[in-house]
Amino acid sequence: MNITRRNVLLGATAAAALGPVAARAQTSEVVIGVIYPFSGASAQMGVDAQKSFETALDIINKNHDFDLPLAKGEGLPGLGGAKVRLVFADHQADPQKGRAETERLITQEKVCAVVGTYQSAVAVTVSQICERYQIPFISADNSSPSLHRRGLKFYFRAAPHDEMFSAAMFNFFDAMKKKGAKIDTLSLFHEDTIFGTDSANTQLKLAADRGYKIATDIKYRSNSPSLSAEVQQLKTANADVLMPSSYTTDGILLVKTMAELGYKPNAIVAQDAGFSEKALYDAVGDKLEGVISRGSFSLDLAAKRPMVGKINAMFKEKSGKDFNDLTSRQFMGLLVMAEAINRAKSTDGEKIREALVATDIPGEQTIMPWKRVKFDELGQNNDADPVLLQYIGGKFVTIFPPQAAIAEAVWPMK
Amino acid sequence: MDTNFAKSRRRDLILAFCLAAIAALVPLFVKDVYVQNIMVLTLMWGALSQSWNILSGYCGQISLGHALYFGIGAYTTALLFTKFGVLPWFGMIGGGVISAIIAMALGYPCFRLRGHYFVIATIVIAEIGLLLFHNWDWAGAAMGIDIPVRGDSWLKFQFTRSKLPYFYFALALACVAWFVTWWLEDSKWGYWWRAVKDNPEAAESLGVVVFNSKMGAAAVSAFLVAVGGSFYAQFVSYIDPESVMGFQFSLLMALPAVLGGIGTLWGPMLGAVILIPLTELTRSFIGGSGRGVDLIVYGGLIIAISLARPQGLVGLFAPRRKEAAR
Repeated sequence: MNITRRNVLLGATAAAALGPVAARAQTSEVVIGVIYPFSGASAQMGVDAQKSFETALDIINKNHDFDLPLAKGEGLPGLGGAKVRLVFADHQADPQKGRAETERLITQEKVCAVVGTYQSAVAVTVSQICERYQIPFISADNSSPSLHRRGLKFYFRAAPHDEMFSAAMFNFFDAMKKKGAKIDTLSLFHEDTIFGTDSANTQLKLAADRGYKIATDIKYRSNSPSLSAEVQQLKTANADVLMPSSYTTDGILLVKTMAELGYKPNAIVAQDAGFSEKALYDAVGDKLEGVISRGSFSLDLAAKRPMVGKINAMFKEKSGKDFNDLTSRQFMGLLVMAEAINRAKSTDGEKIREALVATDIPGEQTIMPWKRVKFDELGQNNDADPVLLQYIGGKFVTIFPPQAAIAEAVWPMK
Repeated sequence: MDTNFAKSRRRDLILAFCLAAIAALVPLFVKDVYVQNIMVLTLMWGALSQSWNILSGYCGQISLGHALYFGIGAYTTALLFTKFGVLPWFGMIGGGVISAIIAMALGYPCFRLRGHYFVIATIVIAEIGLLLFHNWDWAGAAMGIDIPVRGDSWLKFQFTRSKLPYFYFALALACVAWFVTWWLEDSKWGYWWRAVKDNPEAAESLGVVVFNSKMGAAAVSAFLVAVGGSFYAQFVSYIDPESVMGFQFSLLMALPAVLGGIGTLWGPMLGAVILIPLTELTRSFIGGSGRGVDLIVYGGLIIAISLARPQGLVGLFAPRRKEAAR
């Protein structure tokens, strides 16, 4: 098959008609590519993701009595019970390697869909390549809002993006103010890669719209050896709420430095990432009683939806950990993709894309607190409601929004 | 009047021509895009390492900050194209010229430093560049620049699926970098550089203008590396500060030359031909486990090679006569 020489893509419609279709028509096996960092600084994320995807695979390929898409029965009934096989690829957090590996998955491993990627910068190139080869891509756990705004046809995201997460925080502030809490000033503290920058930009905009004063906005170099100067600034500003957007190591350093310099904020509302990682709470959890983090997942849901607890147990058996914000999104990412392939009754990229566009899964048939899974014209699911979780007595409890909450927020934090 | 040296230089040129011709024919037989991708990267890193070798190998000024020039090349092309619609071909030349000027501006204070002090200065300056781009909103800051790809075009130098144009460009770049090195090797500059590398004081006493010859080497080296950076931006069609200016790029430019034979004509290319496929293949075929086995294998092989041939692999191909003469 000589795809490379063909200078296709003269127009979008012509492009849609072509594509590497023929070789994949009839299959007893559906191959999906999974691209994550399996080596380097974020290798642990990839290892956890792998366990999560294997859990989802188990549910798809074996018979389970859960009210989830594809749980009952084995394989994909739409394709005559074809089993799903995953091919894992390592992008080492490098956009160039992500691009090359995606190309390898598509041309050599003949995957019909791709799921990834943890780092947003890598999602940019992975989704570009998928677009060129007309292979659908589900961005399982990337939360940068710029990703879906590029107008790619083969890009889909079932989970919330950072603007939705930050909006939930401000909704929460508004609700707390109504109850009489004093929340006027905010301190932003964010790292300088895409994640932190995007998060802070959104928070600045929301604060301006809703009438909150930014006491200080501190951008720091990620993986800094010291944050003393930055924490000193936070202490001086002493805002009503501290809002960090940090990965794990920086988060730990932040909390440690705050303790050393005797800075105890009134409340901390964190943008996930490090603040939903077990490693951070293992290191400095004692100093974080009452910290609030956003999330797209909460184990509290198990009380209302018992299957969440059972699936979590399946995951825990493989990984030794509970589902967290990232692994739960990865799990759903694969499930949503497989559900669409099943409805498409085909492994053709364009047909799967059409099926994804038509996706409509009610929230009860997920493990998430979402209303439903339905993509808008940019491929974003706007009904993926985030939750706010508070760390109390060594575990997280859901405190917001009211329909998902199981406890009242403790405010101020101590 | 044909000296042995002139003969061996002519032999090098003929060999290079034959190798380039063979390389140009390879894609006729190798159609797999993944393998083609590895070939593109190999040629690109070979060219970059060859350029690095001009300053650090021939002139002996070890730079671990060449990622700066690589990044400037990539950013100049990407910014000119996305903000002003300037075609990447002009961006490439522009990026090269800007990099050469910056290399000389930085060389002015830094070439007064010796040995490891110079190396540290290059690392620090590249890191400053990285931080500047990280915080420069107009240049996309941490978000980077996404170069929109709208179909195949030689004018815009972008191709949706085909790797061949990138392959031939990388091959041309590698040939240019090799030829420039070959040509400079036997020029007045080439002799000056080697003199500066061996003993700057002795060179100065013999009339070599040490400072100027370092500046010249830096400018040529930076220009070629920046063209490589421009190519990389077009090839990946997305750049962010970490992915074009990170410290690992400076190391990756030095590694092939060091492995193959630093300060030699064939060393950088030979090093790249071994290193780059090794990196890519180990990652693809044993990297999916999450245990870093690929990196252990990769590191182990580099150590084994350097232990076996500390003077560089290029020594393996030296004419037998020299060995006998020793």
